[in-house]
Amino acid sequence: MNEAVIEVRGLRKEYRSSFGRRVITALDGIDIAVHPGELFGLLGPNGAGKTTTVKVLLGLTAATAGSASIGGRPVADPESRRHVGYLPEGHKIPNYLTARQALSIFGRMSGMETAAIRSRSVELLEKLKLSQWIDVRVKKFSKGMTQRLGLACALIHQPQVLLLDEPTDGVDPVGRREIRDILRDEAKNGVAVLLNSHLLSEIELTCDRVAVLRAGKVAAEGSVEGLTRTGAKYKMVAAPIDDALVAAFRESGAGVDRVNGHLELSVDNVEHLNALVDQVRARGVMLSELAPLRSTLEDVFVDLVKAPEVQP
Amino acid sequence: MKVLVANIEDVFREAAARWTLIAYFCLSSIFIIIFAAAVNLDVVNGALAGAKLFGKEMEVGGSFSIEKLVTGFEGGFASLLYVLSIFMAIFATAHLVPRMQDKGTIDLYLSRPVSRTKLIGSRYLAGLLLAASNVFYLITAVWLIVGWKTHVLHGKIFLAGGLMIFMIASLLAFSFLVGVITSSTGVSIMMTYGLAVFSIPLMAHQKMEAAFSSDWSAYLLRGLYLVLPKVTEIGMAVFGFVLGQNAPEEAQKAMALQPFVTTALFGLGCFALAAVAFKRKEF
Repeated sequence: MNEAVIEVRGLRKEYRSSFGRRVITALDGIDIAVHPGELFGLLGPNGAGKTTTVKVLLGLTAATAGSASIGGRPVADPESRRHVGYLPEGHKIPNYLTARQALSIFGRMSGMETAAIRSRSVELLEKLKLSQWIDVRVKKFSKGMTQRLGLACALIHQPQVLLLDEPTDGVDPVGRREIRDILRDEAKNGVAVLLNSHLLSEIELTCDRVAVLRAGKVAAEGSVEGLTRTGAKYKMVAAPIDDALVAAFRESGAGVDRVNGHLELSVDNVEHLNALVDQVRARGVMLSELAPLRSTLEDVFVDLVKAPEVQP
Repeated sequence: MKVLVANIEDVFREAAARWTLIAYFCLSSIFIIIFAAAVNLDVVNGALAGAKLFGKEMEVGGSFSIEKLVTGFEGGFASLLYVLSIFMAIFATAHLVPRMQDKGTIDLYLSRPVSRTKLIGSRYLAGLLLAASNVFYLITAVWLIVGWKTHVLHGKIFLAGGLMIFMIASLLAFSFLVGVITSSTGVSIMMTYGLAVFSIPLMAHQKMEAAFSSDWSAYLLRGLYLVLPKVTEIGMAVFGFVLGQNAPEEAQKAMALQPFVTTALFGLGCFALAAVAFKRKEF
């Protein structure tokens, strides 16, 4: 795999209450690596440290310990943000600007030339279905339109890294799909995307890999498929299912649950599963579906968040 | 340079959209119209035959030269403009830092490859440019009106404009410092006006020191006088620079180096502190 473009190692962030009496640990030594072309989701309940992680990556706040770099440069160096596009949650693009003016100002601040800003603005606003609103002031925009303009501001300078905080917030379902498609296109072009969202279904649909933060630590990390796989559990749809078949399965050591007319089987391994299928065939039962059981990302998330914290 | 251009565009667009720019120039224009209507001079063959101010006949002695009258007018109005331009400049620019520091806005600026010092510096220059453009408008208009009414043109009033911008630069740095620390436009305006008003009587610090019974209070007052910007002295210097050798003794004294150096140091100190505070601030 390519070298990580976002790299966080042992990142720790402590906030002090007024007069420094109480220390609040927002990040407790997290490690994250996002590679070019990857769609990486950052999940966690409120206060888990997602926003703090993004803030540290952007130099908005300084880490207490550990290191963070973008494109090989430490985040304290403003140049690390040369190729970063950021869409903050609840962003406030100055509402006295038009879409064109906002893109001009933020494009220029990213070091772009006027001609490049002009052509890229037209292209992006077309892509984000805002071209008719190019010369309208942001204060006239709906929430979804403001969000799409925010994404355009993040993309104006063709970044290699995208940090997005709730990018589909306030966007209608069609718009959400369009934003997902844009993010996938960006990833196909080698852009590393770090997505921070409470919408688990959004993350599930968009991301290749996720990290679940809990109390400032990475509670789980892996591919969406890997995290949602429930081990050796399978759904079997067959007919007729009688008590004798269920009893035979149980005798072989399998866990069997009858759920809405089908069976949910817990087996030791694939050989064990095949032995059960042999029994189905031997009894002349018609097998119509056999599939591994998966949890939703929401199930995984809730389990991880509710699980008691393991003390080192 | 691109960052500076972006900030200038941002500051001027905001000023235009929020009516600040229009109000700024409308107020200035009202002043100019009043000035143009109030001053009526009767110049015959290069000599002043009569003068009216707000319709009231002024006594003009035979030895009164037109040049002296013009510098007198320009000096007087430059002093008035000094107060007006400072008042308007602080009012029109004090929001620049607090608004930029708003949650959801500051992230958009700081996520760009720009150092915080460069960001606040370019914001400061953009604000100063906005104030300077108004000073230039006011000064040029007064200069043209005086030239139109007297047929005498000289450029000393532009030097007065430079001094106005100098004073605004120093106070704007203080306003930025307050803005970075408090993130409040209201507090920035109040503190800056408060500073300007507080520093006015300090010109008479020697007389006040003599009235104090304890040494430490006298030292404290002198310290404050030395540290704070010299709003009164620079105002008198504005008058003095326009009048030149004809300026009264007080104005001549104010044209010394000390008020300028200490005011510049105050501004530089405030800006440096604002830059450090902004750099260390967590968002």
